[in-house]
Amino acid sequence: MSFLDSLAAGLSLVGNIEAFLALFVGVAIGVVGGAIPGMSATMAVALTLPFTFAMQPITGILLLLGVYKGGIFGGSIPAILIKTPGTPASSATILDGYPMAEKGQAGKALGMALWASCTADVISNLALILFAGWLASFALSFGPPEFFTLILFSLTIIAGVSGESLLRGALSALLGLLLATIGLDLVYGTNRFTFGDPNMMGGLNFIAVLIGLFAIPEIIAMVWHPTAHVGKARSLGKNWVTFAEYRRCFKSIVRGSFIGVFLGSIPGIGAAPSAFLSYSEARRTSKNKENFGKGEIEGVAASEAGNNGVAGATLIPLLALGVPGDVITAIIIGAFMVHGLQPGPMMFILNVDIIYGLFIGLIVSSVFLFLIGSVAIRGFKYVADIPKRILIPAVLVLCIYGVFAVNNNIFDVGVMFVMGWVGYLMVRYHIPAAPFLIAFILGPLLEDNFRQAMLMSGSDPTILFRGPITWFFWSLTVLTIVAIARAGVRAVKASRFLPEDPTR
Amino acid sequence: MTQRQMQMRLGLGAIIAAAFLILYAIPQWISSPSNVRNIVLSPLFWPYALAGFTGLAGLGLVASGARLRGPDTLVNEPVQDTGAAWMRLAGMAVIMVATMFLLPRLGMVLTSMLVFVATAFLVRTRHPITALVCAVIIPLVLYAFFAHVAGVAIPQGEILRLP
Repeated sequence: MSFLDSLAAGLSLVGNIEAFLALFVGVAIGVVGGAIPGMSATMAVALTLPFTFAMQPITGILLLLGVYKGGIFGGSIPAILIKTPGTPASSATILDGYPMAEKGQAGKALGMALWASCTADVISNLALILFAGWLASFALSFGPPEFFTLILFSLTIIAGVSGESLLRGALSALLGLLLATIGLDLVYGTNRFTFGDPNMMGGLNFIAVLIGLFAIPEIIAMVWHPTAHVGKARSLGKNWVTFAEYRRCFKSIVRGSFIGVFLGSIPGIGAAPSAFLSYSEARRTSKNKENFGKGEIEGVAASEAGNNGVAGATLIPLLALGVPGDVITAIIIGAFMVHGLQPGPMMFILNVDIIYGLFIGLIVSSVFLFLIGSVAIRGFKYVADIPKRILIPAVLVLCIYGVFAVNNNIFDVGVMFVMGWVGYLMVRYHIPAAPFLIAFILGPLLEDNFRQAMLMSGSDPTILFRGPITWFFWSLTVLTIVAIARAGVRAVKASRFLPEDPTR
Repeated sequence: MTQRQMQMRLGLGAIIAAAFLILYAIPQWISSPSNVRNIVLSPLFWPYALAGFTGLAGLGLVASGARLRGPDTLVNEPVQDTGAAWMRLAGMAVIMVATMFLLPRLGMVLTSMLVFVATAFLVRTRHPITALVCAVIIPLVLYAFFAHVAGVAIPQGEILRLP
């Protein structure tokens, strides 16, 4: 199929009012969800997922992508107006956004956040369109040993960079892999941890696990500490961002977008580190570096470009290799699976219309983000006024309906509750949830590819080192482990030089 | 809980979990055909390998926890009344267990209404009237969507049967 044929197929799939309406509504939900402190873009995507079951695959996936993109931008609104990031990716925006709001320039900061987000979004989407197909065609030559080493590398990097400690990340990933072993064995069909319960034979439902892991812990945390404080929203002020200011920040925006694209295309890193790296690079190269942290508009532009640059790029490994780049794309892979689609290189052959439909939708999403973002900035005070202690029970009820709707099964609601407590314990013990969920998704693939490789070779492990691709991923895995372990050892050594606490 | 305590507890927990899996859970709850010649292809191999790595991660956490020095700052924000906080957590657990018990009996709509009210009052809402109104409206709206738009067979229960 030629490029034009693929484009036409994609256009025929999304060229209808439902697809664009879903995208528009998705961006709106995402902006509102991201703007509510304590809700986050991840939770907004997870809660929207059950509503996509009744839709056409492309419509449902566009709705979720809209929520993702809207959520990442929406998080910057409370970051600037009330010094509380709506989503972790917006933490860097506080550094200069809130001081600007204190100076009465909140409107200017929000305007720049919007322009930078939309610019980065366009660059990120273009990167996805250019690189995903190329990577997928390369991945078509992968066999089970190559996929095994690729998934192992992805899990290593996700476990290593998702939290404060490699060991806690590794523990999280191992728990996710162990949970994925529940169900019937992939080769022999024997029972593994099913306890004779037919509900367990298909394994634990992915959506019950993810909603349990990402939405229920927020509810339990609210129960533990109900008086969550939300600051007072500042007024927008009379100033608005000018074209001259946008032009002055353009270099930082483009640089931040490329940082976002690069970090987003590596599984596991995510939007928050990208925003901080983009911010520090902008400060390092700026003529006004002494103003950073005191209300410098370039700081807002850089951090917002950094986090939004990730949004399209995280879909590169998802679509091309079937490996989710972060937690939100891990949820989106669930939407693909619910509709019987398996992201990966074969999707570029079997479902090229969906791939190109998504590309078209993503380009349009940047326009919707700009339109909805402009309105949301002015309407934020209404969102901030929603009482959180009414919102939380509503989220709980939504979770119950959503999880039940997956399989019409009350057992899944129970799985969600149990995973909610597991997720809460993980929050209390600072165990990152992202490696757990991604390992839970990739676990069966990892095991399946390993066993297929062993079957191919007659159980000879050297097949896992059979060519340059496997060697490449093994080298990356070892390098990643060494780099993260060295950073951990340095941190422990640094803590030894600190004075002892006399109270101990 | 301090950083060091957290690391040690996690490490010990992981070691105990690994030992439980290797010594009891895997032999007891995973069945493997007797004719599997190679251990690598056995359904037992992957769980044993993962349990082994969990034990190693636990040992690593204990070792790094033992080496941690520096000021023992608390890792989680403390609450004002810990006793009441634990009571609320217990209350939430009761709500979840009750939900599982009531869902097949009262149906999803009525159960959700009760869950909404109970949770709102558990977190000491300052808007009780709004909470009651939302407790009625939100489950009904969700029922309308899932039952009539998404075509999901929402459990109806014995008391209330909705169209």
